[in-house]
Amino acid sequence: MLLVLSEEQKAHLGFLPRAGGAAVGELGRLAVELLRRGAAPRACEAAARKLNIDVDTVQHGVEGLSYLLTESSKLMISEIDFQESIQVLGFSDELNQLLLQLYLDNRKEIRSILSELAPKLPSYHSLEWRLDVQLASRSLRQQIKPAVTLKLHLNQNEDQTAQVLQTDPSTLLHLIQQLEQALGEMKTNHCRRIVRNMK
Amino acid sequence: MRFRFCGDLDCPDWVLAEISTLAKISSVKLKLICAQVLRDLLGEAIEYEKILKLTSDAKLESGDVKATIAVLSFILSSAAKHNVDSESLSSELQQLGLPKEHASGLCRSYEEKQSSLQDRLKACSLRLSRLGSVCWRVDYILSSSELQDVNEPLVHLTFNVQDRVRGGTAAVPVTLSADKFRVLLSELKQAQALMNTLL
Repeated sequence: MLLVLSEEQKAHLGFLPRAGGAAVGELGRLAVELLRRGAAPRACEAAARKLNIDVDTVQHGVEGLSYLLTESSKLMISEIDFQESIQVLGFSDELNQLLLQLYLDNRKEIRSILSELAPKLPSYHSLEWRLDVQLASRSLRQQIKPAVTLKLHLNQNEDQTAQVLQTDPSTLLHLIQQLEQALGEMKTNHCRRIVRNMK
Repeated sequence: MRFRFCGDLDCPDWVLAEISTLAKISSVKLKLICAQVLRDLLGEAIEYEKILKLTSDAKLESGDVKATIAVLSFILSSAAKHNVDSESLSSELQQLGLPKEHASGLCRSYEEKQSSLQDRLKACSLRLSRLGSVCWRVDYILSSSELQDVNEPLVHLTFNVQDRVRGGTAAVPVTLSADKFRVLLSELKQAQALMNTLL
């Protein structure tokens, strides 16, 4: 699977051969930092001064490199495909090797950063419960009405919310039965076949 | 195998695994670590450096130290939860493979603090809201824009309610006429009489 670079990106990366090997290493490091921590304009300015290149060019170069790295890591393209994709830029073999090494070294880390960007539903954190019996109310005395009160703590993107629910014991038993049935589905042949194929 | 301190269920695998780690520590030091864990369960600050010093002789890694604290926390709080007396706890721990001196040291610490632990667990149980305080004021209305001679008493009540679901205290102001207030008071007295029959 080949990576397709737009004209703008090709232009952004176009200055790399002129910059030289050391500069490419520096820009590669900045690109990975961009992915780890977000934009760092001061780091780009410092690099621009050190390498004697215009700040905008450095910025574009870093962005171009980070796009190259994210797309390659996202699609998990092989070495050969990566080399063929960057051949269109017309760089020297040495530069191609540098870029390939940069990709292979950082691929795993970039993939783990990208995996955290997927949207998440609220997930289970903990459950508190309480069993009470209602004995009397203003309108009716001599009752026996058991009730289970639940406080479900959920986690969503470091946000903690709590949901309070109340049910009677027979509904709770039904709920438990349904959840056990859901767990039991994992043991059916259909699910087992899929899990086996995923491994 | 069913254990009373696990609520008549099987002992969790991780507890079984960590019993051997507990056996590595001398029984005297284990009793001191228990005292620290009990302080944490009772809501006071735990002194982690002391525990580190006590476990340094047994040459436990940091993961093992945390596992020790976790397993002691579980055993002590679970035994208090299911109201297990200290002899039964001692014999059950010995069945799991904990040496006799360690088990008896642990159970002696447990026995001292069992009732305060149970009180603390009762206080931590699920409560949705709690009445903090009630303030009241009685006014006498002399006259209003509708009627020149009103001459009626009026009660202002403010309930300070602690909301356990969202946290924080809310003030609920209520204004009642004399008759309504009499009805409220008699209903609450009936509820109080019912509560007293249960105590």
